[in-house]
Amino acid sequence: MTKQIATFTINGRSRDAIIEPHFLLIDVVRDIFGLTGTKLGCGSGECGACTVLIDGEPVNACLTLAIAAGGRSITTIEGLHDGQAGLHPLQQAFIDHGAAQCGYCTPGVLLSMTALLAANGNPSAADVKSALSGNICRCTGYVKIIDAVLDAAARLRLRNERGAAA
Amino acid sequence: MSERLSYVGKRLARPDIAAKVTGRAVYTADVALPGLLQGRILGSPHPHAKIGNIDTTRARALPGVVAVITHADVPSDKFTRSTLAEAMPDFAFAGERLDQTILTSRARYVGDWVAAVAAEDIYVAEKALALIEVEYEPLPAVFDPRAALRPDAPLVHDDAPGNVAQRMEFPFNAGDTAQALAEADVTVEFFGVSSRQKHIHLETDAAVAWFDADGRLTVISPSQGPHLAKRQVARRIFRDIDESKIHWISPAIGGGFGARLALGVEPAAIALARAAGRPVRVTTTREEDFSGYSSRTDHHQTVRLGAKSDGTLTAIDYRIVADSGAYFSHSGSTTAVNIQMTLGTFQVPNRYGQFTIAYTNTPTTSGFRGYGNAEGAFVLQQAIDILAEKLDIDPVEIRLKNIQKSGDPSCLPPVPVEHTRLDECLRRGAERFGWTEKWCGWGRCKTGRHRRGVGVSAITHSSGAGGFLLETSNASIKLGADGSASLFVSPCEMGQGILGALTQVAAESSGLSREAIHVVTGDTDITPFDLGSHASRSMLVVGNAVADAGAKIKHQIRERAVPLFALRQIKAEPSEIEVREGRVFLFDRQDVGFDLRDVAEAAIFNFADRSEQIAATGAYSAHSHHPNHQAAFAEVEVDTHTGAVKVIEYLAAHDIGRAINPQLVEGQIEGGAIQGLGFALTEDFVIDPDTGVVLSNSLQTYRVPTANDIPEVETILVEDPYAGGPFGAKGVGEAGIVNPAPAIANAIYDAIGVRMTSLPMSADKILYLLAEREKKSGVAPGASAVSGQSI
Repeated sequence: MTKQIATFTINGRSRDAIIEPHFLLIDVVRDIFGLTGTKLGCGSGECGACTVLIDGEPVNACLTLAIAAGGRSITTIEGLHDGQAGLHPLQQAFIDHGAAQCGYCTPGVLLSMTALLAANGNPSAADVKSALSGNICRCTGYVKIIDAVLDAAARLRLRNERGAAA
Repeated sequence: MSERLSYVGKRLARPDIAAKVTGRAVYTADVALPGLLQGRILGSPHPHAKIGNIDTTRARALPGVVAVITHADVPSDKFTRSTLAEAMPDFAFAGERLDQTILTSRARYVGDWVAAVAAEDIYVAEKALALIEVEYEPLPAVFDPRAALRPDAPLVHDDAPGNVAQRMEFPFNAGDTAQALAEADVTVEFFGVSSRQKHIHLETDAAVAWFDADGRLTVISPSQGPHLAKRQVARRIFRDIDESKIHWISPAIGGGFGARLALGVEPAAIALARAAGRPVRVTTTREEDFSGYSSRTDHHQTVRLGAKSDGTLTAIDYRIVADSGAYFSHSGSTTAVNIQMTLGTFQVPNRYGQFTIAYTNTPTTSGFRGYGNAEGAFVLQQAIDILAEKLDIDPVEIRLKNIQKSGDPSCLPPVPVEHTRLDECLRRGAERFGWTEKWCGWGRCKTGRHRRGVGVSAITHSSGAGGFLLETSNASIKLGADGSASLFVSPCEMGQGILGALTQVAAESSGLSREAIHVVTGDTDITPFDLGSHASRSMLVVGNAVADAGAKIKHQIRERAVPLFALRQIKAEPSEIEVREGRVFLFDRQDVGFDLRDVAEAAIFNFADRSEQIAATGAYSAHSHHPNHQAAFAEVEVDTHTGAVKVIEYLAAHDIGRAINPQLVEGQIEGGAIQGLGFALTEDFVIDPDTGVVLSNSLQTYRVPTANDIPEVETILVEDPYAGGPFGAKGVGEAGIVNPAPAIANAIYDAIGVRMTSLPMSADKILYLLAEREKKSGVAPGASAVSGQSI
């Protein structure tokens, strides 16, 4: 196999990795960069546990060849935060609503929902369900996840209004 | 008990959740170790075959391969995967079948483990698997449990004549069921098959194992019960490893649902670590999980009910043929629990249960949340509705008439039912659901393409297996000089939130502040002996142990506070001192007191007198099953053109005793309801009836509910503190998954007048049954060796 050095922009930082052509993005994220918050649940793009953002769009890291993500902006759960280092409002809402149980789907869910809220600041429950339908959660029955996302959206809107007023 | 509660009943954030929303929780696959090898296991392509020569030369020659092992390299002692079997008394363990080795010399299902590899990376390990050359001598195979029980069937295990893995008459049968059925005013017979629902824990099975220089073995795996797993490995599998030389760690668990009550790849990881002389992590793929070794056990169930004309049940006769798959694991205990729960939901004087468990050349089944109860409720709760229709009684009324009441003799262990509010669950649920408005009476034909119907189900479940297993827990608490405390428990956190609930119990019972308590779990070197999580036990059984430890801590604090009050010129007896929310004060003068930290500090940094850290261990042993109960109501809409069932609304009312943390309790009920929705409607484990190959081997072909599939879910917590539980709490983990299938089945019948006799209640089955009823030719649903063969 041909090894090559590829450069990734991951959570805002540029990092190099020696990769082979068959390496998947999830291998690079977890095994080379040690960002183990990204989870492998099925390896075939069906469960969404490996969801990361590439240029803000949710993708399955288990289906994405690493080389295809080179040079693009990758966000993993470790890069989700509130401006500086605090929790993103989605993360705080998940804590407040008890929206994570075993937690294995949670990073992928949070990144899918981050993309949703970036695109739609005022989603309906149906919008949330639709955006969530690529992420399987086996523990919560989705009820508290949906509540948390709607709550986080409301908190973000309130903050934006205050920001605009100030 | 003082009703003033600081933490119990509050929706406090669970202690493990910050790590989970930031991706920092460490699961078995995330563990990093120097020199860690990657292990993979080779499965048989044949459902039944003798294994001849295995040539590993080419695999070993591949650069990066460190070890290749086969059946010749693993212990020959046979074992059963169920770790819980280690908690059985000897007479019960005698019924278990020790029937497998880590790697086999005779493949008994497609995927049975034949060889294993440890290599420098996962890609090399995968390549090496393909280079192992195995000579298979195929044998005739059998895939259906009823076919397996016929005299001419090929034998799955030579020492199990007739493929009978276990046969049992229920020990607590009562009365004369045959006579009572003959004399009954009305009788009903109903047959139904439950499916092999897959757990689909999102974290597939994995284990890390290594031996230290002194020979001490450490295992990291998502076990629901590491103490029992450790004992099992030493006693049954690796008899040359002393139990004292094993350290078992259960880290964050990516979903359990019962699957982790059986050993998974841990023994293979241990064998590889030994062969390689280095740490090894064995992982499995989702496809291997499907073709592998854990699912619900499918039960073929026939129930007969006899009743008086007023609807009072007089007799129940219940017979099960269960399919264990290739090996025994949890099939015996799940089938026994099915009988207990099915015979024990209603108060019936004459009861008879028996079961036969067959071996087949299909993947091994195991224990699954609901553990037999979810299987049995599917037939029992439909049978009681058929009876109600015959007698023209409201389905809610016939349940209220027949459910067990407090003090009735239970047939779980034969002790009285200590506490039940199932009646209130039914009444409050029916009222909130609008049952009397929505249920229009029997035989009201609905018309049109989309037809709505409503259904109800009411069940009992246990809070622990007291009376059957060593149902015991220990917990300890120690206080640092800074006033912070560590709580040590071993229920393991697989998502249920038990660490949060136990921390609240610890704070409430000890008087410590909740924020001061750090909880530690799942490490056999550190956390005290416990069975782990199973049978909805942890809230009650571990909770009682924590409350015991907490009360002892409070006692010590009171004693040690006396001299500190004296220093402040206040004479106080321990009995006059209260400890609450991290503060020590006088009962009758709450303003007189000090921070608990002063007591903790003085206990250790005591230069004048004897110094002793405040610490205590609590314990609890259950001798009853402490039943919890749940009633549920479903409204469905059936599309008679497509057969698709949409659940519009689902409401569950749970008899919780007291909710230590209502948010966590709701989480269990909601999660159970949606897992039960999948069991009811879409999750179909399909085995090719000709080849034994699992056809539903991905999340595309095995459909679990997504966010788009969920109905409106409502929960009601019926709270009436139960004297046997910590602050009145009972269990909740499993009950939620039991009701959906029968409640939805009854709602489907209400909508379209068709009785569903197998799970899942998929669109193709419904279309076929509608066509049959109207004497049209329908396309028969696809056949499966497990479910779907019976419509």
